[in-house]
Amino acid sequence: MSNETASEGVMVTINGMEISVQPGDLVIDAAERAGAHIPRFCYHPRMSSVGVCRQCLVDIDTGRGPGLQPSCMVPVSEGMVVDTESEGVKRVQEGILELLLINHPLDCPVCDKGGECPLQDQTLTFGPVESRFIEEKRHYEKPIAISDLVYLDRERCVLCDRCTRFAREVAGDPLIHFMQRGNQTQVLTFPDDPFNSYFSGNTVQICPVGALTAKPYRFRARPWDLSEVESTCTTCSVGCRINVQSSRGELLRYQGVDIDSVNHGWLCDKGRFGFEAVNSDERLGTPFVRSDSNPDELVGTDWNTALEAAASALKAASGSSVGVIGGARLSNENAYAWSKFARTVLSTDNVDAQLGDGLCAEMVMSLPRATIDDAATADHVLLLAPDLKEELPVLYLRLRGASQGSTKLIELAPAPTGLTRYTSAAHGYRPGEMGQALDELLGGATGDAMRSGRTVVVIGRPSLADSPGEVEAAVGVAQRLLPEATFLPALRRGNVLGALDMGLAPGVLPGRIANDGSSQAWIDTHWGSIPTERGMDTIAMLEAAASGRLHTLLLIGADPLADVPDRDLVERAFAGVAKIVAVDTFATASVKRADVVLPTTAFAESGGTTTNLEGRISTLGRMVTGPGTVRDDWTIAAELAWRLDADLGLESLPGIWAEIEAVAPSHARCSPSMLSADSEGVLVPLPVVAVPEPDEIADDDADTSEADTSEAEVDEEQAEGAAAVVEAPSVPASVSWSAPALVDPPAVDGYALRLVARRRLYDAAVHTSQASSLAALADDSTLRVHPAELGSLGVESGSRINVTTARATIVLQVTADESVPRGVASMGFNQPGISAAELIDHREPVTEIRIETR
Amino acid sequence: MGMLDYVRGFKVTFERLFDERVTTEYPKEKRPKPERFHGRHVLNRHEDGMEKCIGCELCAGVCPAKCIYVRGSDNPVEDPVSPGERFGFVYEINYLRCIHCDMCVEACPTQAITESKLFEFSFTNRSDAIYTKSELVVDDEGKPRKQPWELWHEGDDLNTSGWMRATSSAGRVEYEGVVGWSGELGHGVRSPEVGQSATASSEEGA
Repeated sequence: MSNETASEGVMVTINGMEISVQPGDLVIDAAERAGAHIPRFCYHPRMSSVGVCRQCLVDIDTGRGPGLQPSCMVPVSEGMVVDTESEGVKRVQEGILELLLINHPLDCPVCDKGGECPLQDQTLTFGPVESRFIEEKRHYEKPIAISDLVYLDRERCVLCDRCTRFAREVAGDPLIHFMQRGNQTQVLTFPDDPFNSYFSGNTVQICPVGALTAKPYRFRARPWDLSEVESTCTTCSVGCRINVQSSRGELLRYQGVDIDSVNHGWLCDKGRFGFEAVNSDERLGTPFVRSDSNPDELVGTDWNTALEAAASALKAASGSSVGVIGGARLSNENAYAWSKFARTVLSTDNVDAQLGDGLCAEMVMSLPRATIDDAATADHVLLLAPDLKEELPVLYLRLRGASQGSTKLIELAPAPTGLTRYTSAAHGYRPGEMGQALDELLGGATGDAMRSGRTVVVIGRPSLADSPGEVEAAVGVAQRLLPEATFLPALRRGNVLGALDMGLAPGVLPGRIANDGSSQAWIDTHWGSIPTERGMDTIAMLEAAASGRLHTLLLIGADPLADVPDRDLVERAFAGVAKIVAVDTFATASVKRADVVLPTTAFAESGGTTTNLEGRISTLGRMVTGPGTVRDDWTIAAELAWRLDADLGLESLPGIWAEIEAVAPSHARCSPSMLSADSEGVLVPLPVVAVPEPDEIADDDADTSEADTSEAEVDEEQAEGAAAVVEAPSVPASVSWSAPALVDPPAVDGYALRLVARRRLYDAAVHTSQASSLAALADDSTLRVHPAELGSLGVESGSRINVTTARATIVLQVTADESVPRGVASMGFNQPGISAAELIDHREPVTEIRIETR
Repeated sequence: MGMLDYVRGFKVTFERLFDERVTTEYPKEKRPKPERFHGRHVLNRHEDGMEKCIGCELCAGVCPAKCIYVRGSDNPVEDPVSPGERFGFVYEINYLRCIHCDMCVEACPTQAITESKLFEFSFTNRSDAIYTKSELVVDDEGKPRKQPWELWHEGDDLNTSGWMRATSSAGRVEYEGVVGWSGELGHGVRSPEVGQSATASSEEGA
C-alpha cells in the first residue's frame, strides 16, 4: 500500500492486521486485499451487491461489539475491526454450506463445472465434513434448454442471483427471473420467451455452480484437460480479452478475462462460441488452383504449384493493374507483411482493408481518438453509429452501463437501435440527411449541453445503404460544432483499425503517416522506394476491374461478394479481372471465384498482436495448429515475394513487430515486453516522453491517444532534435483529413421507401454460419416497414413482396414493425437468403426501394 | 569324511521329498492371485446391462502415467448407454504406459473401472496395446472380453478385484474399514478389511 493511498484511506483492522483501504470499498474486497479470502456466491465485483447467499458473513465490529454481517454489503469505515476467521464465522460458513448442500445434487462427476466449481472448492475449504441431512434431495427435470446456447439445471442452483442480476443489470435482457416462493424458488425463463440474449454465455461463466451450462461445451472436457492461453477476441473490433482453452489440439472454450479498460470480463455469445468456426470441418486445409480442363472447378494442389500460380498471376500485372483487398481480419504483423508486400513487391498503392462498408481511413486516423473508458465516463456520448448491440456488443454493454450512471447518450439514427431505449434523446433522420439533421441538433440546446461537458462521438456507418460521404460530412459537422469532442470509430471487423495503422489503405503508410511524398525520406530508409501516387480504395479498384483496367485482384481474407454494399459492381469486377488470388480460411462466395486459393491460419492458430477500435494493441495467443498445411499470412507474403524476385526481410512474428516499432511512428517504443506485461494492452501512440525542454511537453496532452497527431508540432519537435526518435530522417507527419462540405440531400421520392441496411450480430457470414451453435440463430431475413406504410400500399405483414431498385428486384418477406420510422424500410445487410448488397448502388447517396405485391 | 556325510548331504532333499510341491507348470497351471492383485482393467456394467462409466474423466485426471483417455458425451435419451446425463463416449487405456497403480479404480465414483487379475498379454503392435472401450467393457455376464493376444485359462476371468476406497473422502480415521470393496465382477459388497489404524494400534500393542 503506497503512502499516497494511506493518506486518503480509511484504517481498518482485518484479522488483526491494520490496513488502509479506499473509502467506499466493501469489506469483502478490503479483506481480499489484506490476504483474507472470504467465501462468496452471490457477490460479483462488476454487479451490485445483493447479499442473498449469506456465505460471506464475517464478524464486523464498528464499536458496538462484533456481529455477523454480510461483508459484500458493508462498506469499510474508520476503525472497523473485521474477523474473518473467528469460531462464530467458521460455524456460520459451515452452516450455510451445509444448508446449500441439502438440495444440491452430488453429480459433480458429470457436471461441467466440476473441477472449477466455487461450491466444490468452498465446501472443501470452508464446509462441514459431513452433512446431517439424509433426506432425499429435491428433484427437478434435468437440464432444460433455456435458449439455443444455454442449459439450466435447477437442481444445482443455489439461488445466488448472479445470472438474473447479470441479465437485468448488465445485459438489459431481463429474461430470466426467480419464480415461486420459499423452498420452491427457482430460476426460470418466462413460458414463451427463451433466454435469447446476445450475452447469455456470460451467465454460464459467472454461475458459481453448474446450474447454467453452455451447449457448445457440454461434456466436451473437464477443467483439468484444458490448457489455456490469454488472447484477444477478434470477432469484432472491441478487442475483449479472453482465455482461449483447448484440449488435445481442439479449441473448446473461450472465457472472458476481466480488464478494466475494455470488457469487464464480459463477452458476447458470437465471440464466446466463435471457436466452433475455427474448428469447422469446412476450413480450407490445402491450396487450390483453377483446373485447366474444367474452368468451373477448383482442384486441390500443393503449395509449390499454388504459390507459383499466384506469383505468375501477380507478375502479369503491373503496379497500377493489381489490387489488394482485405486484411482487416488479420493480426497487425500479417497486415504489415501484406502492406509491405503490396508497396515494395507489387509496387502498388491499391490496397484497402475495408470493403466499401467502412469509413475514410484518413478521417479515422486524424480525428482525436477516444477510448471506451472515455466514452463510458463522458458527460455526453453522441451516437452516429450503426446498431452497436448488433455490431460491437460489448461496447453496447459498456455504453448501456454508462447510461445507467451520469452519462447521457444522444443518438442520431435512421431507425431505432439496441441502445435507443437507453438514450436520453434519440433523434431520427431520413437516410441521406444525416449531416443536416446533425447540424440542426448540435445548433440547438443539445449542442450547448454537449459543448459544456466532455463529449465523445461514436462514428460509423448507420446504414450501409447510404454513401459513406454522408457520414464524413456529418463528422465534419460534429467537428465544427463540437470542437472539444473526441471520436470513437465504430468499425466492425476484428483488426480493421490495426490494418489501417499498418497501411492497408490507399495513401496511408504504417504508423498513420501519409504516402504523399512527404514521408518519402522516412520510408525509403526502411522499405526502399515505393510508389507515392495515391492508389485506389476498394470501390475504385472494383470499378477499375469492372472496366477491365485491373489484371489481378488479391483478396486477403476478404469476401467482397458478401460484404461490399453493391453486389452488381463486385460481379462485374470479378468478371472483368483476369486473375483472382484469394488468401482465406474458408471457401466463401468470393474465394470460390478465385483462380488460386491459399489457405491460411485462423484465430488461435497464430500469435501476434491486434489493435482494437481505441488503438489499443494487445497480444494474440497461439493455442492450436491449423488444419492441413495452412500457413500464416506473413509467410505466404514472404514466399510470394521471393517468387517475384524480392525479399520482404521478414523472418518471425517478433521480428516483424520489431520492424513495425521502427517503421510505424505511431507504434514507436511499443515494445513486446510492454505488450506482454499487461492484459490491458498498450494504447498507441504512446505519449511522447522526450524531455529536452519542459515547455515542449506541455503541448502534448498525455491523456488522449492522439497525443502527437497535430502534424506541425511533431515536425517542429523533430526539427529541434527531440531525443525520443531514433532515425536520422525526421518522422513524417500524420495523415490529415478535411471534412467534405455538406451536400444537399437527395430529393424525396414520394413513392419509394429509403432503405436502411444494417448488419445483425448473427448473419450469413462464415464466422456465424460455420459455428454450428450460432448458425441457427441467424434469422430475421425480412424487410421491416411501418404498418401504416404497408397499409397505404395494401400489403399484408408476412407476405412476400417484390422489392425493386434501379439495380435489381428481389423477393422478400415483409414484416410490419412500428419501431421503423415512416418512409424507411429496414433490413439486415447480410442475412441467410437475403442480401441488401443486391439492392444497393454505391454511386447513389441513398437507396430508394419500391415495394410491390407479387 | 565317511559315507554318512554323503547321505547327510541329502538330508534336506529327503526331508522335502514328501512335502507339498510348490512349483507349478506355468503357464499350463496357474496359482491363485492375491486378493489385491492389479491386472488389466475392465469397465463394468450394471446388472441391467447399462455401462457404469459416466465419462467423468476422474480416472484420466488421477492417472500418474497419463495412459487413460476419456471423453464424455450426452447420453442418448432413447437408447441410454449409462444411467444419467453423460456417458463415456471414448475410453482408451494405453497398456504400454499403464503402471497398474489402481489409482483410477480409487478415483472412480461409480465403480465402473476395476482391475481384473489378467496380466498376460503379448502385443505385436502398438495399437493392440491401446485397449478401447469395446475391449474394456465387460460382456453380458459381467466377464472380461478375451483378446486374441491374451493368455487365459478357464476361470481366470472370474476375479475382477472390485472397487475399493482406502479412506473416507474427508480422510478421517474413523471411516476406515467402514466402506468396503465391491464384490467380484463389480457386484455386491465385500466385507471391509482391517484399516490402517487398526493395524497400527495392534502393532503398538505388540
